[in-house]
This record gives sequence, C-alpha cells and structure tokens, in this order.
Amino acid sequence: MKRLGIIALLTIFSLSGVMAQLIKVDQEVFGMDCAPCAYGLERGLKKMDGLEKVQVSLNDGKAYLKLASDNKLTLQKIQEEVRNNGFSAKNAEVTIVGQLVKNENAWQVNVNGETFIVSSDTPSEIVKSLNTGKIKLKVFVKDKEDNHLNGTWDIRIVEVLKS
Amino acid sequence: MKRTAFLILLTVTAISKVSAQGHGPLYGLQTPTLAKGGFDFNAAAMSLATEDDQSFMLRYIWSYGVTEDLQINITTPTMVNRLSEAPRTRGNNNMPANGDIEASVWYRFFSNAFGVGKRFESTAILSVSTPTEETRSGINVSNSIHGAISTGYASRTWYAWVGGGYQYYFEEGNEQLGDLPYASLVIGYRPNIFMGDYPKPDWRVFVESLAEFPGTSTSEGQLIPIDQRGKKVMIGPSFLGLYGAWGISFGALFPLYQDITQGPKEEYRLSMNISYWL
Repeated sequence: MKRLGIIALLTIFSLSGVMAQLIKVDQEVFGMDCAPCAYGLERGLKKMDGLEKVQVSLNDGKAYLKLASDNKLTLQKIQEEVRNNGFSAKNAEVTIVGQLVKNENAWQVNVNGETFIVSSDTPSEIVKSLNTGKIKLKVFVKDKEDNHLNGTWDIRIVEVLKS
Repeated sequence: MKRTAFLILLTVTAISKVSAQGHGPLYGLQTPTLAKGGFDFNAAAMSLATEDDQSFMLRYIWSYGVTEDLQINITTPTMVNRLSEAPRTRGNNNMPANGDIEASVWYRFFSNAFGVGKRFESTAILSVSTPTEETRSGINVSNSIHGAISTGYASRTWYAWVGGGYQYYFEEGNEQLGDLPYASLVIGYRPNIFMGDYPKPDWRVFVESLAEFPGTSTSEGQLIPIDQRGKKVMIGPSFLGLYGAWGISFGALFPLYQDITQGPKEEYRLSMNISYWL
C-alpha cells in the first residue's frame, strides 16, 4: 500500500514537473520598415508578462523572443501584439516543452491552452521516433491568417531536443 | 459655428491623446498609422516665403492610435509671423499651413504586408479646422473641412506615396475663401549606408512634390474676378532620421510652376519636424 502511495506521488511529481510552455520564439513579421515600427513592436512585446528578452530586427523582419521560465504566454498573444502594431505575423520558429500525445492518428503537443499539431511534412524518421510523454521540440509553426487565430497551430518538427 | 467647431475639437482632444507623422514624408500625403494604443507627439517649425514677406509658425500635433488602422490627431499652431497675403495651402502632410486648429481622423482602409519590410497600403483622412485669425488675405476666414486619400508602398529601401485632397471653407459674413484641391507625389529611398539594423539610426531621403489648385474666393457675395492665389506645383527634397522613439525630418519645397496673376509669388517653403513616440 505504502509502495503504491509512493509510486502515485512520484507519478504526480513527474507530471507536475512538465511545465508546458514556450521557451523561445523567432517570429517572422511582414510590413515592418522603420525604426519606430521596430521600437513600437519591441515596446509592445516587452509589456507582456513572461518574456525574458526581446530583440527586433528590421533587416531580418523578425522578433526574437526568449521566454521566462514558468511563463504563461501563448503564440496567439504574441501574434496579436504584432497585429496591434499594424504588421502581419507570419511563420515562426518555436521551441516548446509539453506533453506529446497522439490524438486520432495525429501527434500533438498542448502548451498553455494551445495545440500544436504535427503536420505530415515532418520528416518520417522524426515521426517514427516520437513517444507519448514530456518532450522538448524545436518546431516550425506555419503561418495562419491574422484574423483567424484560434490557438491551434500546424507545426513541422525541426528537431527533437529532449524526449 | 466657430464655437461649435471649437467644442468638437476640445471633445476630440479630451477623448484622444493624439497623432503621428514623422514616419514618412514631410509635405506629401502618406499612409502609416500608429500602433493600437500608441501615442505620438510632433513639433514642427514651418516657414513660407514670398517675394514680399515670410511667415513663421510653430505647430504641435498629438496623435493616438485607436486601433492599428485608426488614428486621431489634433494640431495647434503658434503663429510667429503671418503673411498679409497668405496662400491657401496645406502645410506638412497632416498640418495646415495657416493658423488653423485642426482635428483629424486617419483610417488605413487597406493594408497588405507582403514581405519583410514591405507593405502596400491606403489611408483616408478627414479633418475639421477652425481658424485663429479673423481674415486671411483680406477675406473672412471660417471653419473648414478637409478630406484626403493616399496610397503607397513602403519597403526597407524604396518608398512611394501618391495622394490627393480637398479643403472646403464655409462662408463667414458673406465672404468665403475658395476651396483647395491638391495632390502630392513622394518618392523615398534609403541608401545602403543607412541600412543598419534597429536600434541603429535610420535615415532616408525623399523627393516630394505638391500641386495645388486653389479656387476663387467670394467677397461680399461676389466671386473675386482675379484671384490672388494661382495654381502651383512645388518640388523639393526632405530627409527623415529615426532613432528609437525619436524622429527628425526637414526639407524644402520650391516652385516648379506657379500662375499667380496678382500678388507676390511664392519663393520657398521650409519645414522641420521632431517626433516622439510616447
């Protein structure tokens, strides 16, 4: 009985240790042409809770975000901030930690209420290596219409960083 | 009527917190609007020289981005020296050249960001003005309304905007200033040397042109047979430097063509504008 209790406790601890979150976001931004544009976007992003570092590059057309540990930020919030500044958020390269689950033959990772669905263009050798459970991934998030953001994203896994 | 317009202006001021410029050309119509919730303050020094005299004016604009596509602005002048025969003209792209207090709404009704640093967009402007003087070039001056539309392309290297507008003055004491249709064309370029990435300073140069076609004024109910103000086409360079939350632009316009048949001819316009994004 004691042993069962310890196992249950360990299980709970191991699950609670999985802090599903965004770690790093390189967000592509279209339409940003000037220093005040970059300044405004940088300032807007910095106002969001959960960011450790923000860097905006006009020449790359990207916002580079490093997120704080235990953050609750979502990619949708980040892309909405880009839109509020008058620009268009496009593809993103994101590092995420979360629980990988298989749902109706599709792998997906749930992070802070958002669902990242692994698309069929992920290299097959990566797909074959996937197992349910905690995972850290570097993924390419495909562009969605700015007006139709709903927290569900199609991703191509670039690299499995930790499983 | 003046009091009503002034009350509208005050109401707009109270609701808003202000407008933007400083991001594009100095004289010509442009398209960019502020970010949602963004504030901007501009202070400009403007001068217009004719053969006989020269005006000096300081002007301030406060702007506020209601949404990323809708911006409200209010601009107020400090007249240092007025021209006795002032041309009817717009000043900088969102400022009257004469001593008007003006409130305006900018609506970016089309925007297509199609690449890194690239976008194509169109903006409509509607403004109401009230004068700070009783007469202008000997004619009673009244409140006016102004509408304009502009469309353009922006990228990290090239910029181009084309636009047109119309200002209509209401009748005041049986007199009425003629209307003012105008058009502008701006081409901008950022040389490679200024292609440093943010937060490095960001400079660009523009060639701006402005065509104005002032209508005939009315005095004591009669059209003035020979209007003192003729059609003009002005052209000149302007420069815009941006660094973080600050922007500075300066430039001049010179007449390429003017058909003034009576009164002094215009020689040049100078302007310098400082912007701060709050």
